Amino acid sequence: MENIDRRKFIGKTAFAGIALAGAGALITACKRNQDAKILALPPVLQGAPKGKKLRAGLVGVGARGTGAAINFISAGPDLEIVALADVFQDKIDACRERFASFNLPIPVENCFVGFDAYKKLMALPDIDVVILATPPQFRPEHFLEAVLKNKHAFLEKPVAVDPVGIRSVITSAKKAEAVGLCVVTGTQRRHQEDYIETYKQVMNGAIGTITSAKAFWNQDHVWFREREKEWDDMTYMIRNWNNFCWLCGDHILDTHVHNIDVINWFMGKTPLKAIGYGGRHRRVTGDQYDFFSIDFDYGNGVSSHSMCRQIDSCANGTGEMIMGTEGYTNCMNTIWDLKGNVKWKFQYPKDENGNITETVKIPPYVQEHMHLVHAIRTGNYVNEAEQTALSTLTAIMGRTAAYTGRLITWDEIFKSDMDLGPSKIEFGPVNMVFETPVPGTAVTI
Amino acid sequence: MKIKSNRNRTPLTNRHRIWFIIAGIIICSIFVKSGKEVVSYTSSDKYCISCHIHPDADQSWKLSTHYNNHAGNIVHCSQCHLPPEGHGYLPAKAKHGIKDVYGYFFKDSAKINWQEKKMLENAKGYVYEKSCLECHPNLFPVTLSVNGGNAHLFYTTSKEPLSCINCHINVGHYDKNAIHAHDTSFGVTVTASKTLFTESEKVEKFINFNEKIPRTSVSFEMVAIPGGTFNMGSPDNEPLRKPDEGPVRKISVSKFWMAKTEVTWDEYLAFFRATGSQGRTEGQTISNKNVDAISGATPPWGAPDQSWGKGSRPAITMSWHAANVYCKWLSKVTGKKYRLPTEAEWEYACRGGTETPYFFEGSPKDLTSIGLLKKFFKPDTSYINSKAVYKLNSNARTKEPSAVKENPFGLLNMAGNVAEFCLDFYSPAAYKADSAGMVNPQGPLTGQEHVIRGGSFKSDAKDLRSAARDFTKTKAWLVTDPQMPKSAWWYSDCIDVGFRVVCEADSSIQK
Repeated sequence: MENIDRRKFIGKTAFAGIALAGAGALITACKRNQDAKILALPPVLQGAPKGKKLRAGLVGVGARGTGAAINFISAGPDLEIVALADVFQDKIDACRERFASFNLPIPVENCFVGFDAYKKLMALPDIDVVILATPPQFRPEHFLEAVLKNKHAFLEKPVAVDPVGIRSVITSAKKAEAVGLCVVTGTQRRHQEDYIETYKQVMNGAIGTITSAKAFWNQDHVWFREREKEWDDMTYMIRNWNNFCWLCGDHILDTHVHNIDVINWFMGKTPLKAIGYGGRHRRVTGDQYDFFSIDFDYGNGVSSHSMCRQIDSCANGTGEMIMGTEGYTNCMNTIWDLKGNVKWKFQYPKDENGNITETVKIPPYVQEHMHLVHAIRTGNYVNEAEQTALSTLTAIMGRTAAYTGRLITWDEIFKSDMDLGPSKIEFGPVNMVFETPVPGTAVTI
Repeated sequence: MKIKSNRNRTPLTNRHRIWFIIAGIIICSIFVKSGKEVVSYTSSDKYCISCHIHPDADQSWKLSTHYNNHAGNIVHCSQCHLPPEGHGYLPAKAKHGIKDVYGYFFKDSAKINWQEKKMLENAKGYVYEKSCLECHPNLFPVTLSVNGGNAHLFYTTSKEPLSCINCHINVGHYDKNAIHAHDTSFGVTVTASKTLFTESEKVEKFINFNEKIPRTSVSFEMVAIPGGTFNMGSPDNEPLRKPDEGPVRKISVSKFWMAKTEVTWDEYLAFFRATGSQGRTEGQTISNKNVDAISGATPPWGAPDQSWGKGSRPAITMSWHAANVYCKWLSKVTGKKYRLPTEAEWEYACRGGTETPYFFEGSPKDLTSIGLLKKFFKPDTSYINSKAVYKLNSNARTKEPSAVKENPFGLLNMAGNVAEFCLDFYSPAAYKADSAGMVNPQGPLTGQEHVIRGGSFKSDAKDLRSAARDFTKTKAWLVTDPQMPKSAWWYSDCIDVGFRVVCEADSSIQK
């Protein structure tokens, strides 16, 4: 028995212990957080740096997926697309052909078809990066799998269609960060040099304190597909995914999320609540709305009016506007004072004839991939998944406000168990009702 | 002048100076070194265990994941029970040290209520959040489950203070009964195969009866409480009263039946089995009055009975909403009018004609254990052990109803064991709004939280008083619930509230 004689021990050590405790309190360093103004802006690059070859797999090989894959390989040296995954063989074939036409063959054994194709692709050990460009319904599970298989990822926006998916993406983002996996998302305005420079101006006080904002994405109708005779329910819906809310999230997510993301970025926060409305008049297929008009309340009397519409022959246009106490900005390239005089304008580069162009030199769709490769190769870590998830959730809050007619709070939508879509994803008949939402009739959100 | 005084001093040569400095360094390093050793020695497990004589804690620690794990890491006492260095380690060590020395000399370890110390609110006093996070800086390991991800997101975004042990209380000391998941099998198995009642008790007269829940073997006693008039609330001179208990008003209540005991697990599980649902969305639609479509509680998180046993112990951790739905269900299956008691009915039944602070003898001033003097002069409470289950005799858990004697109306556990939900909304000013001579008051028309009454196994004697009021704290009682949205049926952070039913005596009942 090595029992300590406690009382004796206490007698001997108590004084020293107490004395040291006092000293300890003094020694505890008073560390002060530096109040450095880090704007956390992405680098504006002319090209991704050289480095170890990066092989990418593309999940979702439709038009945007194939586009994103081409953007990726044009971002810098030694970047390859080596594997494809999709639910349709014809899409795979078209994408392979496209790459073959650039003399960049993709081995057939690395092409996978089906709802589990993404798993097979991510199981390939020599893939470093995955580009996730399926309809957003599938993004959360694909992203989680990517993190589990140690892949860096590029996520197309939006990143989910419902709060359950959003929380999954945020959780996966934190998991990715913990193990150093880089993630860039397709909200390309944040990678656009003109936006970045305008943001710097606003952050340095060019328009004073922000008082209100508006964001708009009004355009002609978008693509849709009529059902073909041999298609089952699931095939039809995925072929026409852009018109079903459970796959697309409605166009307030699909496209308008870009504008919403810019407002959140400039505001430096997400809104507290939303009220809005929307409706459907012209659509031919699916269950989504034609237009939304949402008031996002950021607190302290600051609101952003968000509107989006997909109807032909209307006053259309896309963009943002932010008003401040000392001026206003279109967020993209110009600052005005309160009288409407231009205070500052972004200087676009000149073309070969010496004329000033109207766009940034590197297309933002490529710039974002340069950023991803830069982060992987230089170790300057990037992870945009959470910020894009929060902007997507902002759009979901707006959509829900319009669909239900109710006031929706951030807390409510963040914690909501809304989980769209059939419980089992497989080809064949789908037992779901696709009614267009009627405001004022919803029992739950 | 100065020069002169200098001359008078013995000159300090360089050699002396060097020796002086060296000696200083040696003494300092001995002091620092021994100090360090003392600090590290007094933080060793052996040293901790030498004073803290609680073999159960040593054993449960060795079985826990903080000792018994794949990696072979052992997390020592002081790594959880003291903050990490740089976060107030030494002050905390001194603080606990002083308490421990006091306890060692003046307290009997065998008499310390370790069960009570293990309860979450007490454990928070000696488990340090910073220490958890020191070893677990990554809250989002790649293999984290969906529920875990939700819970940790909730933790990182919560505006309310949350600590790791809110959810992970058993990780340092193993508890074989703890479940950290939905208990989908909770209450599913019927324990005894007794004969089942085919119908409920027929009641025509206003007398005590034994209610039988059809299609179960569960029955419970209902006590006929005659109508009457009483003084509700506590007078200004009642010791340790709170302002919300006044003013005292004369209140009349009509006759009613009240359950002799708090709703037991046997009773509550009959409801749970009959109506339990696996889904989560039905909680939203329950507000309608359609009793034909009663859907009940979802599977609970963890063990709602705290592994103390079910049977005739009072059911706990159900929400007010769940208790209310229970009454609707019970009404439906028995064909009677069951509901939660109003606050007035509750106090009337509790007093049983008495106008003293308790329905038994004694002054709250003498019985309470609160106050500095009471630390040294413990109140003699042995004589109320047969009246109420409360802090000093409960061993930090509920007891079976047989542990206490009846109040004047023949009811058990009106004071203590578990606090009880009432039908009324709570308002601190409710009594001021009442007019004297009211008949069957039902409290404020609107509100957020509901009245709870009667003290619990956790309560001090002052809160066992017949007039003492308390109320539900929905937000705080759901702080740890990792679900989004939180459960409508189970409180994650309240283990000492239950309820008892009353049955209305309508005009069909003869005197």
